[in-house]
Amino acid sequence: MKPILLRARGEENSRSINTYLRLGGYAALKRALIMDPADVREEVKNSGLRGRGGAGFPAGVKWGFVPQSTTRPRYLICNADESEPGTFKDREIIHTEPHMLLEGIIIASYAIGANTAYIYIRGEFWTEAEILERAIAEACRKKYLGKDILRTGFDIDIHVHRGAGAYICGEETALIESIEGKRGQPRLKPPFPAVVGLFGCPTVVNNVETLACVPHIIEHGAEWFAGIGRDVRNSGPKLYGVSGHVEKPGVYELPMGTTFREIIYEHAGGIRGGKKLKAFIPGGSSCPVLPADRVDIPADFDSVAEAGSMLGSGGIIVMDETVDMVWALENLLTFYAHESCGQCTPCREGSDWALDIVRRIRAGHGQPRDLEALERISRHASQGMTICPLGDAFCGPIASFLKHFRHEFEDYIARAEPLPPKKLPVLPVRSDRGPFGI
Amino acid sequence: MVTVTIDGREVQVAEGTNLVEAARKAGIDIPTYCYHPGLSVVGQCRICFVEVEGAPRLVTACSTPVNDGMVVHTASDRVREARAAVMEFLLENHPLDCPVCDQAGECMLQDYSFEHGLDTTHMVDERRRYPGMERRLIGPHVVQNQNRCIHCTRCIRFTREISETSDLAMMKRGNHAYIDTFDGEPLDNPWSACVADVCPVGALTVKEFRFRARVWHLEETPSVCYGCSIGCAIEVGHHKGVVHRFRPRHNPEINGWWMCDHGRFLAEELNGRDVDRPLLRTGAGEAAATSWDAALQWFVEKACRDGGPRVVASANLTNEALFLVKRIFQDELGARVVVPVDPGEPRKIKNAHGQWVESADAHPNASGARLMGLHLVDGRELEAFLGEGGGPVLVVDAGAHPWLGTEEAARTVSGQTVGAIAMVHTPLTRQAAAVLPSASWIETEGTVTSSTGRVQLIRRGLWPGGESRPVWEILTLLARRLEVDLGLPTPVTPRRIFEELTARVPGFAGMTYRRFTTEPGIPVIEEVADVG
Repeated sequence: MKPILLRARGEENSRSINTYLRLGGYAALKRALIMDPADVREEVKNSGLRGRGGAGFPAGVKWGFVPQSTTRPRYLICNADESEPGTFKDREIIHTEPHMLLEGIIIASYAIGANTAYIYIRGEFWTEAEILERAIAEACRKKYLGKDILRTGFDIDIHVHRGAGAYICGEETALIESIEGKRGQPRLKPPFPAVVGLFGCPTVVNNVETLACVPHIIEHGAEWFAGIGRDVRNSGPKLYGVSGHVEKPGVYELPMGTTFREIIYEHAGGIRGGKKLKAFIPGGSSCPVLPADRVDIPADFDSVAEAGSMLGSGGIIVMDETVDMVWALENLLTFYAHESCGQCTPCREGSDWALDIVRRIRAGHGQPRDLEALERISRHASQGMTICPLGDAFCGPIASFLKHFRHEFEDYIARAEPLPPKKLPVLPVRSDRGPFGI
Repeated sequence: MVTVTIDGREVQVAEGTNLVEAARKAGIDIPTYCYHPGLSVVGQCRICFVEVEGAPRLVTACSTPVNDGMVVHTASDRVREARAAVMEFLLENHPLDCPVCDQAGECMLQDYSFEHGLDTTHMVDERRRYPGMERRLIGPHVVQNQNRCIHCTRCIRFTREISETSDLAMMKRGNHAYIDTFDGEPLDNPWSACVADVCPVGALTVKEFRFRARVWHLEETPSVCYGCSIGCAIEVGHHKGVVHRFRPRHNPEINGWWMCDHGRFLAEELNGRDVDRPLLRTGAGEAAATSWDAALQWFVEKACRDGGPRVVASANLTNEALFLVKRIFQDELGARVVVPVDPGEPRKIKNAHGQWVESADAHPNASGARLMGLHLVDGRELEAFLGEGGGPVLVVDAGAHPWLGTEEAARTVSGQTVGAIAMVHTPLTRQAAAVLPSASWIETEGTVTSSTGRVQLIRRGLWPGGESRPVWEILTLLARRLEVDLGLPTPVTPRRIFEELTARVPGFAGMTYRRFTTEPGIPVIEEVADVG
């Protein structure tokens, strides 16, 4: 497949607006602005575009939830808080063609009737924030942004808002809280952001990759987009970020539904050093791990869900035969225990507790009841027991590591030394006095 | 109104009510930690899970509004398992130091652990600790033990939404998050001790009450705060004749769930009796203890002859006592009666509707005195009234006004015949010819009228200390000796005085003691209230 989202990779000055215009940029915007916003939403809905941030919710449907009769302002937020371990695709889009993202944001804002859009960008993405600021300045000069763009009467402003380093701010309601200047903590849902979002107004939050797809859908039509990929529910091009034990880690743009085998062995050059594949995490660290024998399933939303995991963001973490799975789980849990916002009891207490247990198992002090405790945590901190999906994000790995690699944990526990017995301190007894001073 | 079925019981509640309140109405207790009816809903403790038929997952009762025809199960196996899991998560890092924790006995963690928790734990690792935050004074009245905290954020929401001072904040993140004062400034607002009330565990406790009494020993008597004219409903906690604390009692119209620190720490004052028997000065020296009979006889013979005394009544008395003052002295003896009123410091409290209720003066019952047609005076007028001489002076409450407790007041009345009723000695009572011991606030029963025009009942929790008697009783005894017929049936009780009062004072018409038990204060009749 010819790259679509990363078509300008390798072009000289690919970030400048002139290169973008030369490659046919902003044509879709001109086309969208003469369409009715409802038709734009319909087109995106028909394309089958599903959210690329992780949940895979159809973007056109999400836009349809915004009340159209409201007098309050509406907002569009582009979620560029790409902080999940193993995910690095949005950064690639911003690096390659920031204007593609801006065009997508403008079209999406037009479709939902927003006049202000925010790009919430991860705090560590310093360069990327600057790239976006520069692109916004260019687009303003060329009248693609600002008041009355392209003399159509549509006003749109885009603000870049930098995060302060919390993973949880990638969750849409925590992100909204963060933009509002509050502590980044997910809100209770309902109400959903489409009804009560940023500053209490209807808000749509979309991922960078989702929005970058929008200009292509408008330009080439929904059918063209749906034709790429496995079927209309799993359509379009997808960026797969491959990391871990492969020869050529990186971002690969392939049609949705390419098998993991093809991605890992053909595009990423196979397992490093000719070793054997042991396991892979299909979509960023929060997705349940899959063992090597599932490598032939297609990498799309429905197939991966069928196999018991999630496509998530498409960040594939590859582990070869040398990986100690207890260590790998400890590594993941360290991240989640650190990033839990601390609001809900199960996630706050559970993430740290699970980490303590896994750490102790690896240190050689595991106990037979530990796996039961881990299973209890993963059962009771996920599946709606918490406000936001961070509970599921750390419980998915625990459950899947225990499901597929339980023997490694059991080996550790079998070899464990018992903890030194805890003795109560012996209090000094004064011999000249009996108890109670008698 | 919508109808919901909770555990098979149908209940009708207003639209928008959440499931916790709906269940409460049906007589079912859903456990809650972060949910407090006076604060915003955050749904983060996750203990209030219930099963709603048709919903795929368990829902938190606090954040789920009722729908018509909803069918809810609060004790299904799924719910019980989830609650037990949340309890285990909460206790996993809790120090379990109940034997030395002052919250024990009124700790929701204890109660719900007993009711909903597991009888074991899977936890074998080190518990979380916050070194240096085990007993930390975070303000003038509040002691923090962060190790016990369950991160429900009620205290933070109290300082944001009720006191509007935002003193407290959550610091850090995840399992290491802790409550701290914002920018390290002390938690010093007029309602600061309320954060200890809302704290469901022993993380925040009140310095003044810590380790004074185990709460299961305390007997609690519903009363009304006498610190200012707002009249916050309170519970007075006492044990073996000693008052240990005041605690706010829910009254949606006046104080919501809250009370101010000024009122809360008046509790100690009630233990400070130093007049415990009638005193009579016979010669030149100190007044000597005497019998009630002799002391009352002095009042009849020396204080109430020819035209009666000049009476200083008090806005700190109950409606019943004030009514007797008016009947005996003003109506029957034709004496001049003044009620001194001190504006005091401005105080306010937020009621359950989120409105600020402000104080008018520093007395619990100035409105009652006004409604009864007694003459209210300020400190300056009081000084003139006492200074002008002529006839004996009867001070019904030696603590009626701050000025009355000064040396200057004692100088003003020197040389005059003074009889006083008091609980605590002041310079004025030291030189009075006769002093009768009066019962304290918790030792008397009656009603008070707040500045917002609501009449509330205060209950007697303790027997009067020493030989003291409630003011209403002293006044009825005096009336009998003065042969003033009050038309009251014997034995006289505050309830009977109140019945007479409601018949004679139009502002109180239609009130009965029985109504006080179900209503959050009965409003006085408006057009009459405005006259005063």
